[in-house]
Amino acid sequence: MRRELIATALAERLGELRGGISARLAPEKFREDEGFVSEVRALLLNASAADLNDSVPEVSAPGAWTEADTDCLASLRALSLGQTLRLRPGRPAPVDSFLEALTISRGDPAERFRLLAERYSCPPNFTLPSEDAVREHVLTRLMAQDRARVERETIEAVNADDLLLRLSLVALYAARASDLRFLDALNYYYELLPAGWQPRGSNNWLLASYFALYARALAARIG
Amino acid sequence: MRAGILANSLPAALRIYDEVKRVEGCEPFVILCPAAEESRTHSLARHLARLLLKRGRLKSLRLLSGRRVFLFQAPLDHPQSIARLGKLRLDVGLHKAGSIYRDPTIKAFRLGILNPHIGLLPEFRGRNVMEWSLILGQPAGITVFFIDSGIDTGREIVLREEVDLSHCASLAEARQYLFDLDARYFRRALELLRSNNFEHQVNDGSGRRYFVMSKLFRGVVEKIIEAKS
Repeated sequence: MRRELIATALAERLGELRGGISARLAPEKFREDEGFVSEVRALLLNASAADLNDSVPEVSAPGAWTEADTDCLASLRALSLGQTLRLRPGRPAPVDSFLEALTISRGDPAERFRLLAERYSCPPNFTLPSEDAVREHVLTRLMAQDRARVERETIEAVNADDLLLRLSLVALYAARASDLRFLDALNYYYELLPAGWQPRGSNNWLLASYFALYARALAARIG
Repeated sequence: MRAGILANSLPAALRIYDEVKRVEGCEPFVILCPAAEESRTHSLARHLARLLLKRGRLKSLRLLSGRRVFLFQAPLDHPQSIARLGKLRLDVGLHKAGSIYRDPTIKAFRLGILNPHIGLLPEFRGRNVMEWSLILGQPAGITVFFIDSGIDTGREIVLREEVDLSHCASLAEARQYLFDLDARYFRRALELLRSNNFEHQVNDGSGRRYFVMSKLFRGVVEKIIEAKS
């Protein structure tokens, strides 16, 4: 009964997300990224939950770090559109020193964005077991400090690029993880972000990525 | 045992006061402290208004005249408040204030500050833990533990117990039911602490930290509670 109730709620949210995507994503407002945003919008409007679930990015074998031909942002665009990344084996940088750098940069969202985009140049690596502590850090910053700040002030109080990159990475993990906290962070931000919000970051198209990857995470849990 | 109830208002503390004074050898006090970012004037005005308007006026006045209530003018973490707590020589604090405590405040109590967490530790730390327990198909419950400066990471658990919520018809009712058990659980925790053979359980930090739940999932929890009631 519990699982059915969860699946039903997620299906309703997916329907709501797809139904409201035209209002939330107006391609003409994204200038040079208009084409990408249009594609995401069309995909969400037309694809079924099963189609979305089928295109949830497959993660390589547990523990295996991979590299892609493209950088983090280009890879996220591809994954948002359901495209497959060309992956090859890679070697991860140590996680402890990365986590330390991430912690030190907690007051510097631009630096955090740079750090995350660099380490996760192949974004599926964010879902690997070795990244557990990083995921906890990212989730905690999203759901404690940033959430509180947005609720106390406005969405403009946080760095949009940094916020949306973290939400997109979280969505990749939420699609495959049994840990519902990550999916619920996406639920929470969907409810928190103003319906007509136009991010001011230089990568504002990440809003479309977040919606696309959130939709895939919902579809994966329903399926 | 001198127990200080740390509260933002006298009415909130009265229920706990009545319950813990039943513990043999326990001497309860009420420490009223301003809510976070509240001015002294506002705090004083709020206490006076509550004293005049809320039920239990006579009992409140009796406690005030009996020097059982201490009105702090600065937040609990302020050095002035910490010094005053030290002078009161309290054995244990009972958390009923909307505060996060820093180490110097916690150490002002001989044993520490007890928190009646409405979730089972170590599994469920953080926010909305009753809701998270239910949506994950786990039992709801209460854990009374000595806090540290982390989020539900204090190592010493005094009392940990599952609580049946099947009589609750809604999420709000279930939450309120658990919150209202605080006085009773404080009393039981103090009784355990006074017993000769008490051994605390360990909060080993193996659980997860949970966060504020979305409206979507709270809706699911509401349906789970309705279905069980």
